[in-house]
Amino acid sequence: MRPAFLIAGKDLRQRLRDRSAIVIGVVAPLVIAAVMSLAFGTTTTFHFTLGVVNADHGPIAAQLERILHEPGLRNIVTTRPVADEASAAADVKARRVQAAVVIPAGFSASLSAAKPESILTFTSVNNTLAGSVTTSIVSSFTAQLNADRLSLATAVSSGAPADRVAALEQAAAKLTVPVQLAQRPAGSRELKPVSYYSPAMGIFFLLFVISFTARSFFVDRGQGMIERMRAAPIQPLEILAGKALSAFVFGVASLGVVAVVTTAVFGAYWGSPVAVAAVCMALVISVVCLTALVIGLARSQRQAEGIASAVVFGLALLGGNFVFVSAEPDLLRRLALLTPNGWALRAFTDLSTRGGGLHTALVPVAAILAFSAVVGMAAAGLSRRAVTA
Amino acid sequence: MTVAKLAAAPRTAVAPEPTGPVLSCAGLVKRFAQRTAVDGIGFQVDAGEIYGLLGPNGAGKTTTIKMVCGLLDADAGVVTIGGRPLAELSVRALVGYVPQDIALYPDLTARENLAFLGRLYGLRAGLLDERIAEALELTGLSDRDKDRVEAYSGGMKRRLNIAAGLLHHPKLLVLDEPTVGVDPQSRHAILERVQALGDSGMAVVYTTHYMEEADRVCDRVGIIDRGRLIAEGTKRQLVSRLGEKDRIDLVASGDLQALAASMRGVTGVESAAAAADRVHVVAADGRSVLPDLVEAAERSGATLTSVEVSEADLESVFLNLTGTALRE
Repeated sequence: MRPAFLIAGKDLRQRLRDRSAIVIGVVAPLVIAAVMSLAFGTTTTFHFTLGVVNADHGPIAAQLERILHEPGLRNIVTTRPVADEASAAADVKARRVQAAVVIPAGFSASLSAAKPESILTFTSVNNTLAGSVTTSIVSSFTAQLNADRLSLATAVSSGAPADRVAALEQAAAKLTVPVQLAQRPAGSRELKPVSYYSPAMGIFFLLFVISFTARSFFVDRGQGMIERMRAAPIQPLEILAGKALSAFVFGVASLGVVAVVTTAVFGAYWGSPVAVAAVCMALVISVVCLTALVIGLARSQRQAEGIASAVVFGLALLGGNFVFVSAEPDLLRRLALLTPNGWALRAFTDLSTRGGGLHTALVPVAAILAFSAVVGMAAAGLSRRAVTA
Repeated sequence: MTVAKLAAAPRTAVAPEPTGPVLSCAGLVKRFAQRTAVDGIGFQVDAGEIYGLLGPNGAGKTTTIKMVCGLLDADAGVVTIGGRPLAELSVRALVGYVPQDIALYPDLTARENLAFLGRLYGLRAGLLDERIAEALELTGLSDRDKDRVEAYSGGMKRRLNIAAGLLHHPKLLVLDEPTVGVDPQSRHAILERVQALGDSGMAVVYTTHYMEEADRVCDRVGIIDRGRLIAEGTKRQLVSRLGEKDRIDLVASGDLQALAASMRGVTGVESAAAAADRVHVVAADGRSVLPDLVEAAERSGATLTSVEVSEADLESVFLNLTGTALRE
């Protein structure tokens, strides 16, 4: 294996002299992680403004408004009075409010009638989460109202004295609607954007090791250096091993620097160092295997660059390096699990929010290594041919 | 136990001493799809001998030496270095390969390039430093050893390219057209160096399509055409195959292919071929056919600029054997 170490050492020396490698491997992920963290704020707290049209002014409408100002919702919803239904629709459309509720005139009184009025909500595709929360609050409120009406009707039909009906109505109106909405992270910690985008960008730029190494191989081949190495008493596989080793060392160093700097400077939390190291190692191994596959598939430097770009951006898009996976459609979230970077991000998210050590990252690491094994086997024969061609 | 010892044996630093011919190859065949690039080539090279593989571009010279160096697997045939099959990895330490194109890392210094390549051949520490110093001295680059290769002139790169193949003191040096694109001064220096290596006891295989180079440095020459070794021997042996014949070079303008064809019809002309700005003619008596050649040129509408009659040489041999010039 000595020749492999020699080749790796030489490659790393060249890589360190190549400023673009340092920029892409270290500087770019740090800068982009910082920018994205700033762009998405320092926390993931969700808040929206709800337009409220109270045309009823009755006790039930007052109760709904009271609910919207309860401590549990105060940090999530800010209400803004709106004159009428048309204004509410216009405000939502113009994004002055993210959703709106219209309590129609005579709503409170209509609850005693056979066919009560309906509360109207306006939501927008521009903020589906605000729409969902609004719908949820109103649904919960009306469900409670319906339950109260049913109780009252049952009491009356089962023979409650007529002089007690008015008192029962008042008692029902004072019932507290059990709307509960509070933001709590699923794990023990809240996932800060910087804790998501630091590994996400570190991984994204790590994927460029595929391009670097594949290009370096074809440049070497074009310069006659692969042939010159093959003329020496070394095995073709040792040449590949050298290239793989340099990619591995550069990848680990790149991801390591990003982890340390984003933790120390930007306050990112990656998780337990041992578990983080395990995920990083597994991920870099998968990158090395992907590099071997690209080298095996390509016939020229240009082809290698094309294939590598497709692999890098394909994996980054599927794996969730650009957006929170949780914000993606279900299909994309499933597809992310076909990518090593998707698993790595899942691992870093779990480690960052749930805490825990190596056991937390065990499944993602196993999945990444399984991916590496499959890709590595496919690459083995192909890449050897690239050396001897 | 034996297996363990074999596995642990150093494979690069200690190269086995060659016995008999340093290089022996026989029946080498290489096919690329339907095309046979090398068709049954075989030759031997002894220690201290410079063997030239002479042939036009595409004749199969590079393919042959790539098989000799283990860079291409032969479809048939055998290569032994120092009596041992090339398949043994350690045997490669006996061979120094100098590729046709400059094979050096431009972003590394001369010293770094040499150190990397030397280590691949198992050279370490003191010996490596010694060999690097020797190579730099040899190439006249001692004072620029810390400069990146990309800053070197073409001649300097070419010299370093050769030095890199000599670093491990091989028993056999294989040079693939080492003077292509080199200025006359550097070419002269390279040829002198190759001759000195042969004199020092190194076996050298030297491919070229320059007849003058083969003529100057090679002890024996193998002439390759269309993948076959069509003649082999010393220059004297090869030229003597032609008998007492003359070579006539006619520098001319016009349709030289047509001129060569018309000259083939002249009585006493054995072969004629166009190459670049001239027509090469081989004839039993150059001076007696000269008037007829001039007349043929007039008939075909070509304008003769100069005519030179000389003794037959390797170019004439090639022309006589193949009916074409070395450099068309």
